[in-house]
Amino acid sequence: MPELMINGQSYFADAPPDTPLLWVVREELRLTGTKYGCGLGLCGSCTVHINGQAQRSCVVTLADVPAGALITTIEGLHPANRHAVQQAWIEHQVPQCGYCQSGQIMQAAAFLARTPKPTEEQIVRAMEGNLCRCATYSRIVDAVKRAAEIMREGANNG
Amino acid sequence: MADTSPHTTAASPAPPGLTRREFLVRSAATGAGVMLGIAFGPGPLALPTSAEAQEGMESFTPSIWFTMTPDGKTTVHVVKAEMGQHVGTGLAQIIAEELEVKWDDVRLDTPLESVENFATYGLAYTVNSGSVTTEFDRLSRAGAAGRIALIGAGAKLLRAGDADCYAADSRVIDRVSGRSISYAEILQKTTIDRKFRYPDDFKNVPLKTRGQYKIIGKSVPAFDIPAKTNGQARYGIDVFLPGMVYGALVVPRSRYAAKALGIDDTEARKIPGFVRAVKIDDSTGKCTGWVVALAERFPAAVKAAKALKVEWDPGPYGHLSSADLLGAYKQLAQDVGESAAWVLDGDVDQALGQVDRVLAMEYTTDMVCHATMEPLNATVQEISGEWHVYVGTQSTSFARMTLTGYLAKVLDKKPEDLKVYVHQHLLGGGFGGKQDYEEILAAAYCAKEVGRPVKLIQTRESNFATAYPRTPTYHKLQAGLKGRELVAMNHDIVCGWMGPRFSVGKKYGSDWLQLDAVDGTKRDIDQWSIGGSDHWYYVKNHRVRAWNHDQTTWAVQASALRTVSNSYNMFVVESFMDEVAHALGRDPLEFRLAMLSGKGSSRGIPNAGYPPGTPSDYYMDQLWISLPWPKEGTWIPYESTTVGGARRLANCLRVAAQKAGYGSRPLPPDTGLGLAVSAAEERQSPTWVAGVAEVTVDRKTGKYRINRLAIAMDMGIAINPRNIEAQIKASALWGASQILSERLTLKDGRFEQSNFHDYVPIRLSQVPRIDVEIIPSGHHPSGVGEPASTVVAPAVANAIFKAVGVRVRHMPITPDMVLAGLGRA
Repeated sequence: MPELMINGQSYFADAPPDTPLLWVVREELRLTGTKYGCGLGLCGSCTVHINGQAQRSCVVTLADVPAGALITTIEGLHPANRHAVQQAWIEHQVPQCGYCQSGQIMQAAAFLARTPKPTEEQIVRAMEGNLCRCATYSRIVDAVKRAAEIMREGANNG
Repeated sequence: MADTSPHTTAASPAPPGLTRREFLVRSAATGAGVMLGIAFGPGPLALPTSAEAQEGMESFTPSIWFTMTPDGKTTVHVVKAEMGQHVGTGLAQIIAEELEVKWDDVRLDTPLESVENFATYGLAYTVNSGSVTTEFDRLSRAGAAGRIALIGAGAKLLRAGDADCYAADSRVIDRVSGRSISYAEILQKTTIDRKFRYPDDFKNVPLKTRGQYKIIGKSVPAFDIPAKTNGQARYGIDVFLPGMVYGALVVPRSRYAAKALGIDDTEARKIPGFVRAVKIDDSTGKCTGWVVALAERFPAAVKAAKALKVEWDPGPYGHLSSADLLGAYKQLAQDVGESAAWVLDGDVDQALGQVDRVLAMEYTTDMVCHATMEPLNATVQEISGEWHVYVGTQSTSFARMTLTGYLAKVLDKKPEDLKVYVHQHLLGGGFGGKQDYEEILAAAYCAKEVGRPVKLIQTRESNFATAYPRTPTYHKLQAGLKGRELVAMNHDIVCGWMGPRFSVGKKYGSDWLQLDAVDGTKRDIDQWSIGGSDHWYYVKNHRVRAWNHDQTTWAVQASALRTVSNSYNMFVVESFMDEVAHALGRDPLEFRLAMLSGKGSSRGIPNAGYPPGTPSDYYMDQLWISLPWPKEGTWIPYESTTVGGARRLANCLRVAAQKAGYGSRPLPPDTGLGLAVSAAEERQSPTWVAGVAEVTVDRKTGKYRINRLAIAMDMGIAINPRNIEAQIKASALWGASQILSERLTLKDGRFEQSNFHDYVPIRLSQVPRIDVEIIPSGHHPSGVGEPASTVVAPAVANAIFKAVGVRVRHMPITPDMVLAGLGRA
């Protein structure tokens, strides 16, 4: 039984090794913020961080997860919405139906961790793989920019 | 798992003995709180259509919209589905405004759908961008009546006169002494019991003027958003029940009416966790050919569904393809005797015989589907004869009724002996695609078979295979041009009507959404499939004729998709109007403004207010669907959103054109500006909107880019401007997606697309700059979640024509079509 480190907690996943991480997270661990959208890595609703990298958990199987990997889901980003991306998302009132937004937020958080001063072009490239059927895209771009600002403010204050 | 969603399910009890003509404000001495109810609500299915029937409308039953507890908190009970429009926030703003309650004291909940609560709240159904339009007046009056009752009780406690007191920020204040008491204290110290008679007291409840609004018009944050940024929001797919088993659908051989003849589960049985395959009872015509693989885990269910070998009878539609349908439409349109007229002004045939020139064109549109990010799913549990459904649906009421009817058949019981409850959840997208209930029926059937709760989740692939698409359409248009004027217009529309599938229409046993043809043929017309063609341009001789291609309706399971028929009819009408303008040698802006004269039938219904006449609470709920227009003297509780007519549309167009710099700024090469206007949703419930698209075409590849959109919308009262801006931008992009790339096709009775690689919605890199202008005209508010989507497709088509002279008469417009046009040009 592989051990998974998710949101700082250790879990033993009782599932076959070819099980997509998505379904382990959702159905076994009941961390339902990570969403199923397409099952083929086409929409980004299931995005989680594996060792800080944004990954589509619907196409990463249990066997694919490196031993000792640190996995973060939306629930682990900040439960009280205090991560800069979450703050910006609320400030800009991004979500409509909200279903894809966990994935959008995880994608943006991983991107900003590596790209603290993104250009608009970089933002578009980084977020292109995340579908939003409500098409909240305009606000997603605004919120990613704002999150970068909040992160910089935080860094300066700290 | 604890449900931490802001839309928790709560069973709010109805105050006993409330009749439909009373409005009750009552607090219990036990501290249970004050129930502020309003004694009528939307009625159940059988909506009367005659004056006599309206008189005896006892089916309008007590409804309760909010509860104030002695801690001073007000909980607004929202039966509307939350699918991204933040509807509960808007409805709560309306109540809070008149109730004079502090916004921080407001909460939301969602009542459980049951027979009992249906009697209280009426039909829970969220469609047609109608929530604010239909609820605004009654929620305003409910809030105001609550305020009056609280002022009365507060004045007594303050030993002041009612007239000396007013309410603000959850307090009653005595102007004379300056003393005040909070709502919470009032409820703690006294019992309120006051009735407001309907309509007499009700219509005399003093409402604020627009200028006095404090919460309406304020962009308060949406209640549902914080739970959507930390993973705590609960959708139907997030439900877990002890002991439940998962279901995955075997992709059926045909979209509709295939039969599963035999199931070989040899391979499936090798999959660990496989429980069994269930052939769903499809004797009611739902879930046709559905076979569900059940397993202990969802991935195992998916594997098992793939491993099951099903022998099929493809059924009567198993040979059909999109090309066959189009061929049949063209044939059908030859037979004028089979058509039914939807619009008939003047004498089109005679006028067309007397013009200088007739412009005749054909248009076609492909199928598209909702492809909600949350695939359809349902969880059903039977607990000692009670059936509990956990789902996110646009209608918990129809879900309950549909399952009740199905179970009655399957279990051979009387519907009244069945107890069915629907626990509403957030919807991960709706767009008209969550008003069918097959997952619920199938999950219930499986639950019956295995005696365990069942959670059925559509995979993206099975969700596409069982999509409820917008019908393909075929249009023939003729314009009679005389001098520099358009004097006659004919529009013939052939498509699969969705009404019959929803059992709507006289010959299908229910007449409540139907208008008879206006040509004396007494034929049914499905307004949901033809609406939008009754545009607001004043054309003296104007005719729309409609044909139903019934085979389409069933073969593809034609359904309502965001703005319903407006989504194709506005593309066609606005593209064709552009063609007419160019053919007349007139500028499309000048031509449209001239045609939006507000003359004749495009003038709108004047503000009825409260004139003497026959009271009709009927129209209060039903203004938004096409019923005969109110007779002179009919009492309409609120003004129609049609007030001002086409002139409001012209105003939007002026504003949008100015915002886009139409005619006043130089454009890059191969770039054009295209215009469009729309009054979606229905003729009776327009939201006025105009759009301008700037598009650049690559002559080598035929690819085009939408650089900019300018949208101007007049929705009367802007309840939450920031949310309205978001809704407009996002729905505009929905429209862009439809013209750019969305396309569903039928081959051998099945849809050819299966996931987001071959069904392609708009992505971030295609998003243009969008400038939005909200025009708060102060008239009765109308819906904002959909209408902007209808102007983008035609504006883009018109811009492509302006850019490179290519007119594509098809939606979507693919690069190949543009290239073909360039080759011809």
